[in-house]
Amino acid sequence: MIRLQHVSKVFGAGPSRVSALSGISFHVAKGEFVVLTGASGAGKTTLLRMLYRAETPSEGDIEVAGFDVTELRRSEIPRLRRSIGIVFQDAKLLAGRTVFENVAFVLRVLGTPRRDITPKAFAALKAVGLSARAQALPHQLSQGEAQRASLARAIVKSPGLLLADEPTGNLDEDMAGEILGLVKEIWSRGTTVLFATHQARLVPLLKRRTLRLEGGRLVKDEG
Amino acid sequence: MLSFIFNEAMRDLRRAGRVGVSAILLIALSLTALGGFWLLSLNLGRAIDQWGDRVRVIVYLKDEPPAARLEDLMQRIEGVGGIQRLRYVSKAEALRALKRSLGSQADVADQLPRNPLPASVEVTPDAAIATPEGTRALVGRLVALPEVEEVQGGSQWVDGLAQFRRLFQGMGLVVGAVLALAAILTVTTATTLVLHLRRDEMEIMRLVGATESVIRWPRLLQGMAQGLVAAIVALAALEIAYALAVPRLEPLLPVTIGLERVTFLSPLQALALIATGTMLGAMGGLLARGRAQA
Repeated sequence: MIRLQHVSKVFGAGPSRVSALSGISFHVAKGEFVVLTGASGAGKTTLLRMLYRAETPSEGDIEVAGFDVTELRRSEIPRLRRSIGIVFQDAKLLAGRTVFENVAFVLRVLGTPRRDITPKAFAALKAVGLSARAQALPHQLSQGEAQRASLARAIVKSPGLLLADEPTGNLDEDMAGEILGLVKEIWSRGTTVLFATHQARLVPLLKRRTLRLEGGRLVKDEG
Repeated sequence: MLSFIFNEAMRDLRRAGRVGVSAILLIALSLTALGGFWLLSLNLGRAIDQWGDRVRVIVYLKDEPPAARLEDLMQRIEGVGGIQRLRYVSKAEALRALKRSLGSQADVADQLPRNPLPASVEVTPDAAIATPEGTRALVGRLVALPEVEEVQGGSQWVDGLAQFRRLFQGMGLVVGAVLALAAILTVTTATTLVLHLRRDEMEIMRLVGATESVIRWPRLLQGMAQGLVAAIVALAALEIAYALAVPRLEPLLPVTIGLERVTFLSPLQALALIATGTMLGAMGGLLARGRAQA
């Protein structure tokens, strides 16, 4: 599902040159759950951004869901992103829309037939236990609820790959546990998951293969 | 997908709020000025055409031809080409016309020992040659006829008309271009503001895999909708101004510019104004995208 070969990323040039990632190679098989860990600034977010082509690598090759991401033309990026669900540390919910509208928005943007939108959006909300809050606006949600809405939005298009960039970073332990449980449930239905977190205490709870980044280098791949 | 794009465009319009309304009003103002100029231009154009129809060249004859040779003379004059109509005015008829124009002082003409007025032929040039060059050429051909004493009229009058038309068309182009630019910039500004308000949505749209056209079309539609509404407002304003002004202006027109009545834009011209507004709005929407991306 994901294959990186000798991937490096450099920002800037000359004296302001910063090496964010260096010589990263790994493979994530279809249906696998992989934890990407490391301290803040280790390069986790940069790596994830390269997977959905928000950044391009300075060197190396990236393949995601059958797409050669490195060589992908601009016009083909939407096709790559349709196969990926993404959740962020901040839920990025659209302020003027209800939870239901936030989730349905994805389907409407992607041209899903009108008759399928409501059942699919409610199914996603049900999967994250948020059906009862469908008509709430983002500012009326707790942080945990907002993150669950964000998860619903990520999975509503049934992606083969879920990229989670610190989704528990702003949550307390209980809420973080809830989100972890939901992500595992999504994975158990066949979705490949790459879960990035700097919270070292979560890693043992996940009991999954772990990739550890330090200073932009992959220093551990175990589990 | 179409309903999504349309709904997003309408949502953007509502979200633009007062900025959107200001944009619509400014475009409407620009289009009203453009439409008003067009309306004036059309009616002045009609007046100019009518003046063109009235261009006369008077051919004064050396001697009054005997009745037997009149037809031959008229045929030779017509034979120089470029003539739509001609009418012979005898010496007696010219005197009668002079008396008519003198009105109550017509008896002055009776004091004359003999009729001093020459016989003449009033020539109406073809519409196709009612230009300064065409009329000058016609005058040259008529002067060359041996029976002709002098030829008057036409050229200077047509010269003046043509210059007036050129000046008017030039002014129209400049004013039209400035107002069109102002309208485009107004829509661009309004749409750019909406794009800033919508940047979160656009980020989400890109992240979930929306194509650029899905992201772009609502902006385009928003601009088009603003232009369309503004054009309809402008047409209504023009119609009201026309209804108010025409009863006051029409009595003056026949004695000033020679028009019997002022006409409004035809349905096709009104549609063209609406299409222009919509197109200006669309251009504004497209430019806004570039500005927001920059």
